[in-house]
Amino acid sequence: MWAEVRGLRDDVDFGTPPRSGAPVTLTIDGVEVTVPAGSSVMLAAAEARRAVPKLCATDMVEAFGSCRVCLVEIEGRRGFPASCTTLVEPGMVVRTESPRLQQLRSGVMELYLSDFPAGELPDGWSEFHETVRRIGVTTHGYGAGATHHDLPVDASNPYFLFDPAKCIVCSRCVRACEEVQGTFALTIDGRGFDSKVAASQDEPFFDSECVSCGACVQACPSHALVEKSLFDGGYVRAESPEA
Amino acid sequence: MSAHGAAPAGGMGPTVLDLERLVTMANQIGDFFAPYPPARQAEGVRNHLRNYWDPRMREALVAYVADGGAGLHPHVIAGVRLLSEGGAEQKGYYGPPKA
Amino acid sequence: MPNPRKPERSVVTTCAYCGVGCGFKADVAGDRIVRMTPWKEGKANHGHACIKGRFAFDYHSHPDRVRTPMIRASIDDAWTPVTWDEAIGHAAREFRRIQGKYGRSSIGGVSSSRCTNEEIFLVQKLVRAVFGNNNIDNCARICHSPTQFGLSATIGWGAASQHFDSVLQADVILVVGANPTEGHPVFGSLMKRRVREGATLLVIDPRRTETVDSAHCRATVHLPLRPGTNVAVLDSIAHVVVRERLYDEAFIRARCEWHEFEGWAALVGDDRYAPEVIGPEAGIDPEAIRTAARLYAKGPNSAIYYGLGVTEHSQGSTGVMCLGNLALACGMLGREGVGVNPLRGQGNVQGGSCLGSWPHVFSGYRFVTDADVRATFEADWGVTLDPEPGLRLPNMFDAALTGHYRGMYIMGEDPVHSDPNQHHIVEAMRRMECVVVQDLFLNETSKYAHVFLPGSSSLEKDGTFTNAERRVSRVRKVMEPLAGYQDWEIVVKLMNAMGYDRTYAHAGEVLDELARLSPAYKGLSFALLDRVGSAQWPVDESAPEGTPVLHREKFPRANGRGTFMLTEYVATRERVTDQYPLLLTTGRILTQYNVGTQTRRTPNSRWHPEDILDIHREDAEARGIKDGDWVSVASRFGTTKLRARLSERVNPGVVYTTFHHVQSKVNSLTTDISDWATNCPEYKVTAVDVARLVTPAVREAEAAAGATA
Repeated sequence: MWAEVRGLRDDVDFGTPPRSGAPVTLTIDGVEVTVPAGSSVMLAAAEARRAVPKLCATDMVEAFGSCRVCLVEIEGRRGFPASCTTLVEPGMVVRTESPRLQQLRSGVMELYLSDFPAGELPDGWSEFHETVRRIGVTTHGYGAGATHHDLPVDASNPYFLFDPAKCIVCSRCVRACEEVQGTFALTIDGRGFDSKVAASQDEPFFDSECVSCGACVQACPSHALVEKSLFDGGYVRAESPEA
Repeated sequence: MSAHGAAPAGGMGPTVLDLERLVTMANQIGDFFAPYPPARQAEGVRNHLRNYWDPRMREALVAYVADGGAGLHPHVIAGVRLLSEGGAEQKGYYGPPKA
Repeated sequence: MPNPRKPERSVVTTCAYCGVGCGFKADVAGDRIVRMTPWKEGKANHGHACIKGRFAFDYHSHPDRVRTPMIRASIDDAWTPVTWDEAIGHAAREFRRIQGKYGRSSIGGVSSSRCTNEEIFLVQKLVRAVFGNNNIDNCARICHSPTQFGLSATIGWGAASQHFDSVLQADVILVVGANPTEGHPVFGSLMKRRVREGATLLVIDPRRTETVDSAHCRATVHLPLRPGTNVAVLDSIAHVVVRERLYDEAFIRARCEWHEFEGWAALVGDDRYAPEVIGPEAGIDPEAIRTAARLYAKGPNSAIYYGLGVTEHSQGSTGVMCLGNLALACGMLGREGVGVNPLRGQGNVQGGSCLGSWPHVFSGYRFVTDADVRATFEADWGVTLDPEPGLRLPNMFDAALTGHYRGMYIMGEDPVHSDPNQHHIVEAMRRMECVVVQDLFLNETSKYAHVFLPGSSSLEKDGTFTNAERRVSRVRKVMEPLAGYQDWEIVVKLMNAMGYDRTYAHAGEVLDELARLSPAYKGLSFALLDRVGSAQWPVDESAPEGTPVLHREKFPRANGRGTFMLTEYVATRERVTDQYPLLLTTGRILTQYNVGTQTRRTPNSRWHPEDILDIHREDAEARGIKDGDWVSVASRFGTTKLRARLSERVNPGVVYTTFHHVQSKVNSLTTDISDWATNCPEYKVTAVDVARLVTPAVREAEAAAGATA
């Protein structure tokens, strides 16, 4: 139970919480790696310095398996399992890069891009931005459909803001609020296109049960939840050419 | 003794702390040691005063006991008397040992 | 500017707020701190933080920060800005003049748990080696001094037996007089994680706190005792343990003084401590006391976490002893998942306690009356030291009123705001001839000061903090000190000006000195901490990287055994009367930090703009008080006004407020009663009455309402 908190490292995001089980050895992209039983393939890949791209996973909360970016190929298994929710097994042979994986990940990223303010892509440095760059997707073929770009920014909290336009609904914030902080102030409200992060009964953050611990801000991969102190002249959302 | 033991500006009162306060504090210490057997009661009070009280506070209390110690619990008076007996210094019942 | 600014560099340091002591990365861009990110390798917080540490850091650049030293001849004069040399020289001359006129013991100092270990150590050195007396105290006097006394009496060291993560192996968690989710939020989150996993939570607290009852954290047993009855209730729990033979005889025989156990068992086993007797006295259900005792004794791993609700009483030290006794009796010490753990209010309360900022002990809790110990310090410092204990903080104020105490060096404290019986403190301050205040901001106390030395925030200095789990972590300088000097440098300047020549090239040299002179800190150095991140004392040859769990083999007492103290319940003198029929108890809230010096200067005040009086509906109705009304609160010692909130979190007969805001003057109400052993003030029990305040505005509004009705 201590590995989950004590095994964390500052310079790496294992993607899923460290575990303390008996050693298990597997091969990832030809690199042999040994990790405790109960670890995810994603964690093993990070340990082997073959980190898999990911969006909904981070090592301070349990795996969720929703973003479909961390897919891998495993010998002897059909399909493309999510590396975050697949546990390591002895002798497992994993491949993290292949033309087919690249194609699948690009497809997923294009979907994300279709609803992300394009004006904010070039100079961003969030995990989402880095992932977009790593997968090498710059455009999407979805045209100008409905987006979340017109939703208002919630700047009610003095310290951080929530910009739904940049939210990829990975629920990392919701899980951090539950698992790390233990306050359960956040939920994903609605379904499908309408699903969005909501504080308490869809109240402004300041009026909600939120205790402003910042775990959600830290967990957010896309700067949808972000510290106001990082903006010198206040926050203005870049205009999206597609909005 | 004035109401709050306050000395006029520039002057100094007869005791370092208001005597009434010292008596209250000493009796509180006595209350703690009350459930112990008599010898340990007095030693407990003595050790506490010896290790924790500024010497001027102790001296004031010793003098007060010499004057009869009105209002002090009997075992507190016994403990204060042990103070002035000197004798071999005893380590308290509490406090960690010397490293 | 659509995307956030990317930090250019990060400095790993330790949070300056509560006793959890979270590791942080201060992210800097240009010349400003743009973000604080909890350090994932911080062993106290594992990448988590709370609103104070993560967000409320802007006070460090607040316009109120004093940037130049100032002096004045009289407290009625305006301040005159002067150079550092003038200010320090003035303070040094005044202190020497006072000592010349009124004696060596007529001055003293107080240090703060907001300061680093190095600063705390230097302040006590200033007093002992340079002032030449032992009139040195620190703010733990008014919060956790009973912890040091009560725990050293029973288990040998006045410190937490565990590390925070130990709670993840506890089956039963007993929280006494603490509200971790508000006061120690990051530990609170860890504890709640364990409760979600199925641990049993027992809470002894007059209030139904968030820890007792919130959406995702609920106590199995809550004992909402009447303030002031801690010792009775803890003895009653012990009564059940003894009478139902729930104690761990093998552990007691192997690890404790059996004879003392027998004496204790006879005392608490007496019928007068039966739950059926104590329950009604304390206002709680006797069966709940029995259930709590059985659950705690059953374990298998039961851990105690407690706060100022235990210590800030006339029997504070006795209450702490009760906890030590109970853990020993049930064999709940010396392994993971158990223990007795004080939750410290300020970041460095443990360090302040360890490092000799007390009038009676040197660093490492060794009595100044001990000639051998004194000799080691005399040899190292090259001076002769006073062999007698000095005045404690409250006694300094008492002695100021009798004219025996005339000068005071106050570092990072605001006693006029924080100490009890405010009128008494103010009167004492007015009597002093030279008060030197070293702080970030002018405060209530500096109104009575003659010299003001502008200090540095923890973001502007190097050093170490020791958190509530004995963990020593590095504080690293992120920005240059706003007024030019780190606090430890200012102390050294004052020492030098008073004729003591020692200098230090950097704070690490101070750590080396205190490590050399303090057994539990022996192995500590900046080099070690840079390598391992942090280390829990004792750090020595046998534990070169620290000791997460204490008391595994033996207790640090002369014979290695734990012992039992006789903890007779003595009711406080502070009682309700016809005139003052309610009991006021005080505490703090998540967003504010103690006297609010820092947090009141941040947007945290938007959550808690004022201190509010929580009062039960019955008591409010009886007084015609409605939610949000202004009320006057009066005690034997003073009066103040607050806004009332009708609350089910307090029982009838009990009112509660926080003490974060100056204008609330909550400490004008608190009394002169203090702990029998340490003089820790009884903040938690004040008999008061509350009345609806009819201001002219209210009268007008009511007249208008009456006219239209």
